[in-house]
Amino acid sequence: MRKPKAQILNETSRQGTPKSVEKPPRKPAPKPTREPKAFAPENAVVTTSEALDNFNQTPATAILSERQKPRANWILRLALWAGGLLVSLGLALMVDRLIADLFARYEWLGWAGLAVLLIFVLTLTILAFREILALASLKNLDDLRHKSKQTLSSNMPDEGRHILARLQSLYAPRADLAHARQQLDRQSADLFDGADMVQLAEHTLMAPLDAKAKALTAASARRVAIVTAISPRALVDVAFVAYESIKLARAIAALYGARPGLFGAWKLSGAILSHLAITGGVALGDSVIQQLLGHGLAAKLSARLGEGLVNGLMSVRVGIAAMRVTRPLPYNRLKQPQVMDFMADLANITKGEVEKN
Amino acid sequence: MAASPTGIIDEIGIALNNITSAATGAVTPVMRLGVTGLSRSGKTIFITSLVHNLLHAQNNGGRLPGFSLLSEGRLIGVKLSEHPDKAIPRFAYEKHLSALMGDDSKDKLPYWPQSTRNISQLRLTLKFQSTKWFTGLAGPSTLHLDIVDYPGEWLLDLPLLSLSYAQWSDQSLSRAERTKATKQTNAFLSALTPLTNEENASEPQAEKLAQLFTSHLKNARETGRAMSTLPPGRFLLPGDMEGSPALTFAPLPDACANAKNDSLYALMQRRYEAYKSLVVRPFFKDHFARLDRQIVLVDALRALNAGANAVSDLGEAMTSVLACFRQGSNNPLTWIVARKIDKILFAATKADHVHHTSHNRLEKIIQRLVDGASRNARFSGAHTAAMAIASVRATSEGTIKDKSGELDCLIGTPAKGEKLDDKVYDGKTKIALFPGDLPEQSESIFQKSLKPDLLNFMRFSPPADLKTDSENNKGLPHIRLDKALNYLIGDWMK
Repeated sequence: MRKPKAQILNETSRQGTPKSVEKPPRKPAPKPTREPKAFAPENAVVTTSEALDNFNQTPATAILSERQKPRANWILRLALWAGGLLVSLGLALMVDRLIADLFARYEWLGWAGLAVLLIFVLTLTILAFREILALASLKNLDDLRHKSKQTLSSNMPDEGRHILARLQSLYAPRADLAHARQQLDRQSADLFDGADMVQLAEHTLMAPLDAKAKALTAASARRVAIVTAISPRALVDVAFVAYESIKLARAIAALYGARPGLFGAWKLSGAILSHLAITGGVALGDSVIQQLLGHGLAAKLSARLGEGLVNGLMSVRVGIAAMRVTRPLPYNRLKQPQVMDFMADLANITKGEVEKN
Repeated sequence: MAASPTGIIDEIGIALNNITSAATGAVTPVMRLGVTGLSRSGKTIFITSLVHNLLHAQNNGGRLPGFSLLSEGRLIGVKLSEHPDKAIPRFAYEKHLSALMGDDSKDKLPYWPQSTRNISQLRLTLKFQSTKWFTGLAGPSTLHLDIVDYPGEWLLDLPLLSLSYAQWSDQSLSRAERTKATKQTNAFLSALTPLTNEENASEPQAEKLAQLFTSHLKNARETGRAMSTLPPGRFLLPGDMEGSPALTFAPLPDACANAKNDSLYALMQRRYEAYKSLVVRPFFKDHFARLDRQIVLVDALRALNAGANAVSDLGEAMTSVLACFRQGSNNPLTWIVARKIDKILFAATKADHVHHTSHNRLEKIIQRLVDGASRNARFSGAHTAAMAIASVRATSEGTIKDKSGELDCLIGTPAKGEKLDDKVYDGKTKIALFPGDLPEQSESIFQKSLKPDLLNFMRFSPPADLKTDSENNKGLPHIRLDKALNYLIGDWMK
C-alpha cells in the first residue's frame, strides 16, 4: 500500500523543469504560474475590438449549445428519399417529352419552350436560394438568442463582444437603427462583462424594435376585432384571423431581422403554434379576461363585439409569441409584453382607424 | 461577542438625528453613501471619477451605460449642490480633478490626488423620471446623494467605545508584545518598564510615551503587518486633531494603576476617555450611524504583491472593520428612527492593473477576502456584492509574444519608483507589463506558495489623455463604475 503523499504543485511548476514526481491521483495539474514581465510598448500588439471578436468557444458552452435534433426513422427517410427521386424522375421525363414534342411540332416553338424552361429553372433556383437564406436568417436569430442566454449566465466578455458584433452586422442595413447602433458601439467600449453587453444591447437595440412590434400587434388586434365584429359570416372571420396572424408574424420577424420566405413563414408558424400551445395552458389570466370580455361585459352590449375582442386577444397572443420566437435577445432587463399591456388598445378598437382617416 | 459600542443615550441621539433627516428628507429623499477603505485603497479617485462621470453622463461621451437610469434614458440632470451640514469639510472635487488632469502641477503631468485624511462629504442632486406611476405623475423626482468619505482606519476605533482604559491597555500591550519585535516596538515597551504606580502626571512624560506609541503603530502598519491590531485610528490619521491632548496618551500596564487624581495613570485614563467621547463617539453618531449604503474599497493587488501574509492581514482588517457596521434590512416602519446600511459593496479597486481576462479571478479573490465580513452582513439582512472596478483606467490592454507563448499585457506608464527585476522606473517610460497570473483558486492567496515577487502589479501613473477626453466632454474612463453605481443607488431611483 502506498503512503499518502502531498506535494505543493505550484512549487514544481514554477521551477520550469517539471520533475517526474508522483502526483496525487486525479488532481488536475495547474497551469504554470507565469512571472511578471515588462516590455517596450512598441512590441505589444494593441488589442482592438476586432481582435477580441475571435472568440473561442469553450468546451463547456459547446456542449450546452448542442441541441437534440429529432431523429426520424431511417426506413421512413429512405422511403421518402426513393419516392422523391421517383417523382423528380417522372417530372424530368415529362418536361423532356414536352420539349421534344414542341420541337416536333415547330422548331421555333421548341426553342421558345426551352427558353421558358430555362427561365423557370433559373427563377426556381433563385427562389430556393432565397428560401435557404430566409431559413438561415431565422436560425441565426434563434442561435443569437441561445448564445445570449448563455452569455448572460457565463458573463464572458469575449462572448458578449461576439454577440454585439453579430447584432451589428445583423442590423447593419437598417437605417432606423443607425443611431442606436452607433450608441451601442460607443458605450460597449466601456464594458467588461458579457452580461452587461447583452443587457446594453437589449436596451439600445431591442427597446425601439419592441415598441414597433407592440404597435404592429396592437394594430393587427384592432383590425381583427373590427372585422370580426362586422363580418357577416363566421367563415370570414376565421379566414381573416388566419391571414392577419400570418401577416403579423411575418412583419414581426422582418422587424427583428429575419426574412421569412415561404418555408420560413411555415417554420415560423410552427414555432409560434408550439409556443402558443405551451403557454396557452398557463395563460390563466387571459382566460379570465376572455370570460369577462367575450362573454361578459362586451357580450352584453353586443355578441359580435365580444367575439371580436376574443379574436383580437388571439391576435395579441400570436404577436407576443412571434416576438418571443424571433427576438434575437432574450427578455432580460426589459419586461416581456403581456396580454394585459394590449387591453387599452383593444378597449378602444376604433381609435387607430379613426386616427388614420 | 463584544459588547455593543453604543449606549442607550447614543441610540436615542442617533434616533433623533434620523428623525430630523427623515423630516427634512420627506420632501426630497437623501441617500447617504459611505465610501471607505484603508488608506491608499483609492477612495478619493473613486469619488472624483464617480462625480465626474455622473456630471458628464448625458453627454455623448457618457460612460455609464450600466447605470439603469441612463440605459433607460430616465436621467434628467445631475448637479453638485451645497451641503446643508456646514461643519464638515467639503470633498475637494475640483482640486482632485485638476490633479488628475495635470492642471496644477509644474510639468503639466497628471498625478494621483492626495489621499483622504479626514472626513469630507459632497452632495449631488440627481433629477430623474420615476417609473412608478404615482411618483411619475408628479413630474421628475429628485434625490440628494450625499457621498461621505472617511478613512477606514477610523472604523478601527469603534470597538473602543465598549472598552475601558484598563481593558484597552491590556489588549494593545499584549498585541505589541506578540508582534515581531522591531526597533520602534521595543523602544516603546522599554519606555514602559521603569514605570510604577507612584508615577505622577507630567505632560512631557505623556507626550514622550504617546510619541513612542504612535511610531510603534505607524511602523506596524508600514511593514504591512497587523492591520487589525492598530486602534486608535486617529494616531495614524489624526485629521485635524493633531497634537491635541485627546491624542496624547498611551497604554500603561496594570502595574501602574493608581486611582489618585494626579497620577500618570489617571491622566492617561482621562485622555483615553476624552478620545472616546470627543473623537470616536461623535464620528459614530453624526456620520457613521446614519449611512444608507456603503462601498468598501479594497486594494487587494498591493497585498497580493506583498505575499500571503499581507493578504491574510488584509482579510483580518476587513473583517474587523466591517464588524462595526450597522447593517441589516431596513424596516419601513422603523426606518425613520433606525436607519441601517442595507447594501454593502466590496470593490477591488485598480482592476485596470489586471488584464480583463483575469477580472473574474480578482473578483473571486475579493469575495474570499471579505467572506467572513459579508457573511455577517448577510446574516443581519444586508445585501452584499463584490466587484472588480477601476475608478480611472490608467492602462490599455495588449498582447505580446514571448517564448512561453502569448502574454496578456497592460500598457501604461508605471509610477515613479516602481520596480521589476532590479529595474526602477522613472515615471516617464511607457511599458507593456505582464504582471503575472492571478491564482485561479482564490483559496491559494492565503497559502505559503504565494510569495512576494510572484506577482507584480505595478502602480501606473494616470493616463496623459484625460484632459483631451474631458475637453471632449467625456467622463473619466473607468471599469465597472456604472455597475457599482447601479448596485448602490439604482434601486432608490426606480
